[in-house]
Amino acid sequence: MISGVLPRSRRLDLVLLGCALALAALGVLFIASATTGTRYQGLASRQGIWIGVGLAAMTFAILFDYRMLLKFSFAIYCATLLPLVYLLFFGERIANVRSWIRVGQFQFQPAELSKIATALLVAYLFENEDDSRLKPATLVKLGAIVGAPMLLIFLQPDMGLVLTFLPLIFVGLFFGGLPARGWIVIILVVAVLAGAGWFLLKDYQKARIGTFLNPDSDVLGSGYQVRQSKIAVGSGGFSGKGFRSGTQSQLRFLPVQHTDFILAVIAEEWGFLGVILVFALFAALFLRAMTLAETARDRGGVFLVLGLTGMMFFSVIINAAMMIGLAPTTGIPLPLVSYGGSSVATTFLGIGLILGVEYRRFANA
Amino acid sequence: MLRIREDRQSLVRRIEIARVGVGAALSLLAVAYWFVQIVRSEYYFNLSENNRIRAVKITAPRGYVLDRNGAVIVENEPAYTLHLYRREARDLDASITFIADLLGLNVDQVRYRVDRGRRDPEFVPIAIAENLGLEEVAAVEARAVEHPEFAITVSQRRRYKHGGSAAHALGYLSEATPEQIKSAGNIYRVGDWIGQKGIEGAYERLLAGTNGERRVIVDSHGREVSEANRLEASPGQNLFLSVDLKLQEVAEEYFRDKVGSVVALDPETGEILALVSSPSYDPNWFTRRVTSAEWTSLLENPDRPLQNRAIQNMYSPGSVIKPFLAYGALAMDLVDPNAKIFCPGHAEFYGREFHCHKKGGHGLVNLRDAIKLSCDVYFYNLGKRLGIDRISEIASSFGFGQPTGVDLAFEKSGLVPSEEWARVKRKARWYPSETISVAIGQGPLLVTSMQIARALAGLIEEGKMPTPHLFYSSQDPRTGAQLRYKPEFRHAMALSDEKLAIVKSGMWAVVNEAGGTAFGSRVNGLEMGGKTGTAQVVGREAVVRAGADKSKLQDHAWFAGFGPVDHPRMVVVVFVENGGHGNLAAAPLAKALFEAKYGTAKPPAGPPAPQTRAAARPATGIAPASHRETP
Repeated sequence: MISGVLPRSRRLDLVLLGCALALAALGVLFIASATTGTRYQGLASRQGIWIGVGLAAMTFAILFDYRMLLKFSFAIYCATLLPLVYLLFFGERIANVRSWIRVGQFQFQPAELSKIATALLVAYLFENEDDSRLKPATLVKLGAIVGAPMLLIFLQPDMGLVLTFLPLIFVGLFFGGLPARGWIVIILVVAVLAGAGWFLLKDYQKARIGTFLNPDSDVLGSGYQVRQSKIAVGSGGFSGKGFRSGTQSQLRFLPVQHTDFILAVIAEEWGFLGVILVFALFAALFLRAMTLAETARDRGGVFLVLGLTGMMFFSVIINAAMMIGLAPTTGIPLPLVSYGGSSVATTFLGIGLILGVEYRRFANA
Repeated sequence: MLRIREDRQSLVRRIEIARVGVGAALSLLAVAYWFVQIVRSEYYFNLSENNRIRAVKITAPRGYVLDRNGAVIVENEPAYTLHLYRREARDLDASITFIADLLGLNVDQVRYRVDRGRRDPEFVPIAIAENLGLEEVAAVEARAVEHPEFAITVSQRRRYKHGGSAAHALGYLSEATPEQIKSAGNIYRVGDWIGQKGIEGAYERLLAGTNGERRVIVDSHGREVSEANRLEASPGQNLFLSVDLKLQEVAEEYFRDKVGSVVALDPETGEILALVSSPSYDPNWFTRRVTSAEWTSLLENPDRPLQNRAIQNMYSPGSVIKPFLAYGALAMDLVDPNAKIFCPGHAEFYGREFHCHKKGGHGLVNLRDAIKLSCDVYFYNLGKRLGIDRISEIASSFGFGQPTGVDLAFEKSGLVPSEEWARVKRKARWYPSETISVAIGQGPLLVTSMQIARALAGLIEEGKMPTPHLFYSSQDPRTGAQLRYKPEFRHAMALSDEKLAIVKSGMWAVVNEAGGTAFGSRVNGLEMGGKTGTAQVVGREAVVRAGADKSKLQDHAWFAGFGPVDHPRMVVVVFVENGGHGNLAAAPLAKALFEAKYGTAKPPAGPPAPQTRAAARPATGIAPASHRETP
């Protein structure tokens, strides 16, 4: 499958790859800024290693025929659900959540891989859906495919990760062609479920939503993070306080600044210009990926690209909104930029899949 | 492939819509960031500055207190306080048990203080224990790596070197009350220490100096990272008291087992050379916070150790008032000093029998003898001739009934009765027989030791009464610049030298002639004059207060003396509660003080005596360096 293809027909999208690499590099730079001189020192180089792992996975994904992956997507999907089940029973609690598997001194979140697998299975589901209107049976299958890992992760419980699966449902519904009537029904159902779900939320999750709605209610508790992050972002001004000169970050007023709040560090030290740079890179990445989707060889490829892009896009929007108090602090990292091995490695794997779809646009496999 | 291309139309359309959506969402976010980072930039910038910059008070080192010869009485010493920084603690409970174990503290007490501190913002450290010993400090420092949440801070603590010595003159420090903060115009904050009573209170501003401020950059734990700028504190002035520690110690030794007061002052300047109120208390108790047991012992002691008896307790002057009445009668020309009165040991006035203290009577006595012998009958007659209003005029002229203006707070005025006072204040008319009692210092007339000391200084200085004061000089610890006290005076009625000589001669005879009431207290080689007094303990209230303790019903003993007679350099007023007769209980201390002042050797020969006051020494090395406090 790898050999015997005309070189000219194979194209690697350098714009998309370039944007992803630039964002990852920015991430390493600011992880270094945020952790130097703290007990987290050294995380920047560790992130570099994970980026390397991610790039290897990406290369594999580009070279490996995604059609093959689609064909076996159900098996892959099931394989990634297994560790999630395992975690529920035997998982070690880290930060109150059973979502990590420890291998040596590295920890890995299997849920991240499950995101990719679920995107694959969703793409495979729509591969054979020719109809421009979404069939009810497909809708049910979509719900089951995405719902299963969501439920398992919800039980861990890691709300941020659960939410990152949502865009897959949206991608399926929207691009699968759900009629207006269907949207109305879904919105109503979601509203009812949200009301009921409130009772299922853990206290700290309720507290987070409460502080999101009224950040000043708890300035020293959950509201503290949002407040300090807003101060960091706002005080950065137009051009920032300078690299490694952010007072909010360097004096540790920002919480978990190298992971979820890395954008606030960039905003403080490089100002509005830095934020615009990050947004521009992401915008280029997403728009480029959507162009690739339009020209993908087959329907499975289209949905694979859209699903992966949708998840990434969703994380970016929620994370960026979180920094300035426009979304509750859900523990969703900024893809490619935030510190986090599983996140950055699987994001590169996803980017590899997107590039692979493009790579095989004219291939006859 | 063709199959796939067929339905791309609608999919591509949806992707185009989504593309707009992605662009719009990112643009909206960019606008939101623009609002936060550009429009509201200044607001958030100020917040970030407030976050990182914290003003920390630099407490000005409080001035030392020294005696007139430069001997240190009150100084500062380092005090170690243990603070807990909550944000550094991984497990607060573990930290609490650890520190309680390490220092042998009560776990519940530590937990209580931590819980109380939780009301403050997290960066504010919680004080866990004060006044740590050096071993405890070392123990905590040795575990600083594993327990970064604990930090030791050094501050300056007041130390009264001689414990309870001169406590009432010195006062003490305690946390400023809300009223004090308010009346001082909010220069103090809650928790600031402020001088209370004594010279600590009276010269608070001088001693306290001006606090400085450091603006420090702190991290989110409230730990100092670096300093932005600082405004140095200007240290408080060192205060030299007029007190002579040597005399003070003699007086305190004498009062070790007695209740009462001593005032010794320089009659020319009003400088207080010794000031004792017994029983005393240890001002160091307040510095390290009074324990409840100590506080109860202070409050429940019937002798009220906190009260400054020299200015706050009022007593009948007894016979000590006699020289003043003699002086006044001479000044008013109402008595012939040579005229003699026969004392049979008693006399009748207004239908009542009054006794002289000498049962058999003094026989014929003139004014001088009447003072020497303290003849009551003579003064009954003198009092009758003067009448209560003239007695009141004389007493008021010598400053009785008014505060002396000594530089100590809460001074009492005493009471000088008059007909008007009886009518307006007592609301019961004045009986002429009361005048007879007042003439020998009994009755409603009430004075303080300080008033007697000032009045006696005025008497021997021909009416020139100095305002008593403890302030001798102040000195800037940095420049050495000194500020000297300028004596202030009030004038009692004037008296010619010859007539004054008669009064002084009578007082000289009290001590130096056989038959004088304090002959036993003659000072070898020094001509001391004086007057004894005995104040009866009367009234039902006193009986009730005394209860079973019959010694509390014994007379109070007075002695007011001065010397050398030719050129007095010191006035001494001794008051011993329930001491019995002044001759035995009070006068010996005056003698001891004069002996201490001049050694047992001869006093300086002939007036004017050379200035014996030691110049205030520059206090190099006394002032501690300014120190840092915790934010």
